[in-house]
Amino acid sequence: MHPDMKPLFLPDVEHNPKPSTQAEVIRLMQNSDSEYPQILHLFAYKPEATQHLTRFTREVMRGHSPLTDGFRELIAAYTSARNDCAF
Amino acid sequence: MPHIKLPEGLPGISGLMVCRPETSQPLNELAQALLRANNTLSTSDRELVAAYVSSLNECHYCRSIHGAIAAHHLQGDEKLVSHVTRDYSSSAISAKLKALLYVAGKVWRGGKHVTADDVQEARKHGATDQDIHDTVLIAAAFCMFNRYVDGLATWQPQNPEFYRSRGALVAEQGYLNLKREPISLVD
Repeated sequence: MHPDMKPLFLPDVEHNPKPSTQAEVIRLMQNSDSEYPQILHLFAYKPEATQHLTRFTREVMRGHSPLTDGFRELIAAYTSARNDCAF
Repeated sequence: MPHIKLPEGLPGISGLMVCRPETSQPLNELAQALLRANNTLSTSDRELVAAYVSSLNECHYCRSIHGAIAAHHLQGDEKLVSHVTRDYSSSAISAKLKALLYVAGKVWRGGKHVTADDVQEARKHGATDQDIHDTVLIAAAFCMFNRYVDGLATWQPQNPEFYRSRGALVAEQGYLNLKREPISLVD
């Protein structure tokens, strides 16, 4: 594990990724001791819920809208900053 | 009155869902996966987490509808549901569910408020990593649903009978393919 990373509160979640793109990325990052965002563990744990979240995110961020993609990402980044969520 | 033009007679999230089907489909699928799919937590426990977080957010519609769904799963025990949303620590639920509601309350205050000790306490009362994971995800999802419903000032009936009958329907049919027809109610 990359020295800057700490284990998740939930080891079962961290160590039981289901077959998914995210699980593949986690494996590659771990094999090269790279730092990676641990939201990947959450995504890989419940692919069933993740696919709905992904579809929702794609629609709300990239779907048809009078707001530009850039402005929508700024809303997401601004809200995340207010929530003190660095990722 | 809603902040934007929404179809009339569709309360809470239902008007928003009809107005934006592209985003509502995955949101309904998410609700189904979180609250209905096979799980180590019962449907009533999961609906209670949803109702509790909604009550912390003072979202009348979500608190009432998910409370009514929970009550339907609990043989109509509305007293227990209102006790849980008012003060779960003195209610007749398991120590495990109390510990999970405590974690849900922390998520409501902000994700970083959940500590390793809170997680350990839930484990002590028999919660698995999956129980804790799902509780956090349900609590986080309802902070989103509550803000969506209140951020656009949707119409939220005050008549408890509406929530009772709608809650029974959702409890029996789940969140997919729900009919959303305009209703008229005198509050």
